[in-house]
Amino acid sequence: MPDLVFLSLRNIFRNARRTTITVFSIVVGFAAMACFGGFIEFSFEGLRENTIRTQLGHLQIYAEGYWEKRVSDLESVLITGPEEVEERIAELPGVATVTHRLTFSGLGTAGNATVNMSVVGVDLEGEQEFSDFEILVDGRPLDPGDPEGGLIGEELRNGLGARVGDWVTVLTSSFDGVINAVDFRVAGVVRSASREYDSVFAKVPIELAQRARETDKVERIIVLLEDTGDLPELLPRIEEILAGFDRKFEIRRWDELAGFYEAVVALYTGLFRVFAGIVGVVVMFSVANTMTMAVFERTAEIGALRAIGARRSTLIAMFLFEGLGVGLIGSGLGVAASWLLAAAVEAVGGIPMPPPPGMTQGFQAYFNLTGAVLLSAFAVTMVATLVSSVYPAFAASRIRIVEALQPS
Amino acid sequence: MDIISLRAVSKSYPSADTRLQVLREVDLDVEEGEFAVVAGPSGSGKSTLLNLMGALDHPDSGAVRIDGVDLAGRSDRALANLRNEKLGFVFQSFHLIPVLTAVENVAWPLFLKGVERRRRVARSRELLTRVGLAEHMHRTPGRLSGGQRQRVAIARALACEPKILLADEPTGNLDRKTALEIMDLFASLNRDGRVTFVFSTHDPTVVSYAGRRLSLAEGKVDDEPLGVTRHEDSAHA
Ligand SMILES: Nc1ncnc2c1ncn2[C@@H]1O[C@H](COP(=O)(O)OP(=O)(O)OP(=O)(O)O)[C@@H](O)[C@H]1O
Ligand SMILES: [Mg+2]
Repeated sequence: MPDLVFLSLRNIFRNARRTTITVFSIVVGFAAMACFGGFIEFSFEGLRENTIRTQLGHLQIYAEGYWEKRVSDLESVLITGPEEVEERIAELPGVATVTHRLTFSGLGTAGNATVNMSVVGVDLEGEQEFSDFEILVDGRPLDPGDPEGGLIGEELRNGLGARVGDWVTVLTSSFDGVINAVDFRVAGVVRSASREYDSVFAKVPIELAQRARETDKVERIIVLLEDTGDLPELLPRIEEILAGFDRKFEIRRWDELAGFYEAVVALYTGLFRVFAGIVGVVVMFSVANTMTMAVFERTAEIGALRAIGARRSTLIAMFLFEGLGVGLIGSGLGVAASWLLAAAVEAVGGIPMPPPPGMTQGFQAYFNLTGAVLLSAFAVTMVATLVSSVYPAFAASRIRIVEALQPS
Repeated sequence: MDIISLRAVSKSYPSADTRLQVLREVDLDVEEGEFAVVAGPSGSGKSTLLNLMGALDHPDSGAVRIDGVDLAGRSDRALANLRNEKLGFVFQSFHLIPVLTAVENVAWPLFLKGVERRRRVARSRELLTRVGLAEHMHRTPGRLSGGQRQRVAIARALACEPKILLADEPTGNLDRKTALEIMDLFASLNRDGRVTFVFSTHDPTVVSYAGRRLSLAEGKVDDEPLGVTRHEDSAHA
């Protein structure tokens, strides 16, 4: 019905001032939603990359049964000779690093203090990539030439009262149930994104961890990709490689392991929904007001249209097209306004943010206007404009012709 | 055959305490090609009668037939199609669509009828030429005089080649000279085709154009043939 669209468009621009005000309110609402969404998106990305690159990697590979037996019988689900698997996976383009780890927990002592520790034994060669997102606050990073050196989290250092160069003794038990102790020297102190993690975390050469548990196996193989976006594409290829081995493996993606990330995403997504709901209601009132006034003002015209043969449905369509048009114009300008705002924030070097709860550092925030963010702002705007056009359109179609045509 | 036929048609409106009975069991037939005027004092029910003939309103009781079709119980869609295809309306206050140009206004009923775009435009140009507005096709109503607007409205009413043209005080908002020009136009259109005209007016000069006068009083129609009073255009020039 191109001509109905044409008439609706003409009618939209008929009362330029009123339309401008309505469109303006839609633009403001759209831009607010898009920028808030873009901010959340930016925060998600930072948190995601941080979680992946300091702790989890993109994928973790375990021996089959790991998740059932890791507490009751961890030894039976360790991986022997991980190197042959790692080499095959490392050949894939897009894979940055493949490494392995053996973690254990124990009681750490330095001087008088004794604290609970979670010790990660890492392969020093393969682990270089992971340190990117850790911030060294004191000392130096792990060095393959120093098999006795370890890193500890900033909060753990405070708990232990240890300094760089001090020895830390960790008490744990071997797989045979024998109490065992290993020592490492604090080479450096690091800060990751999470304060909680920093308060228990120590990183030592894997040989040291293996000595503590009296094993030569590893617990997990960790795969880090160059780009998080490649994961869906690389995952099946890695699964394929694993299927080629006689022994069986299990794979977990980073997002299946990152409970904290999921919780943050859920929280912020909830906040965004509430915010979008409020914006939607504001837009609805604004559009409903405009449309109701338009119907009211054009009563006589509606009567005339009906007299020359317009059906009720024609009038409903006409007013819905008007609502649709206002929504589309508002959204279009809203996209432009959001881009301008994002560019402005970019130009001033971001918005300084305090550290999020449980995090160690503040950051510069930007608006990451992804397609998904713009799409959700668009969807909210269009649904709001259409919903608030429905009643006025229906009312217009129900106006009694003879009353509409009466000279006022 | 009677193109319009009313049988025992009554119409009332709610008023302060009782109902205001505007039409009382009116029987009326209008033949194809007639040029009839509905006359009567203000409030006598002229508009009410025309609205019933135009399928714009329903009677309280009685039957209205347009071109053999009984309007009772028809759906909105059926009535809209009937108005679109068989009836043309001209109003005292023109009721053009202000955001559309003259040619677009005239094309609108054709759009509603589903006529293809190019033919709509050709037809509305032709009609505007016929009503003497070839020069002003692309003006919006706001830039036309009252008489010009009424010509656009007449062209619009004729767009779908209706069998009946209903005009409620078509000259009510026009000055005397323009009013007579418009009536001359109606008269010539009535002669040209076989369009049936029913219009209402207060104005005795306008009444004198008609071939038949339907005088409304007390809810009844007093039917009065006016003989050979069809005016020549020159008579009022
Ligand atoms: N929708 C309505 N509700 C209530 N009363 C109405 C309505 N329409 C018309 N009336 C009343 O019905 C009577 C007849 O009205 P109608 O408009 O048919 O008269 P008319 O002859 O066309 O008058 P005029 O010459 O002023 O146009 C008037 O008294 C009017 O006030
Ligand atoms: Mg009237």
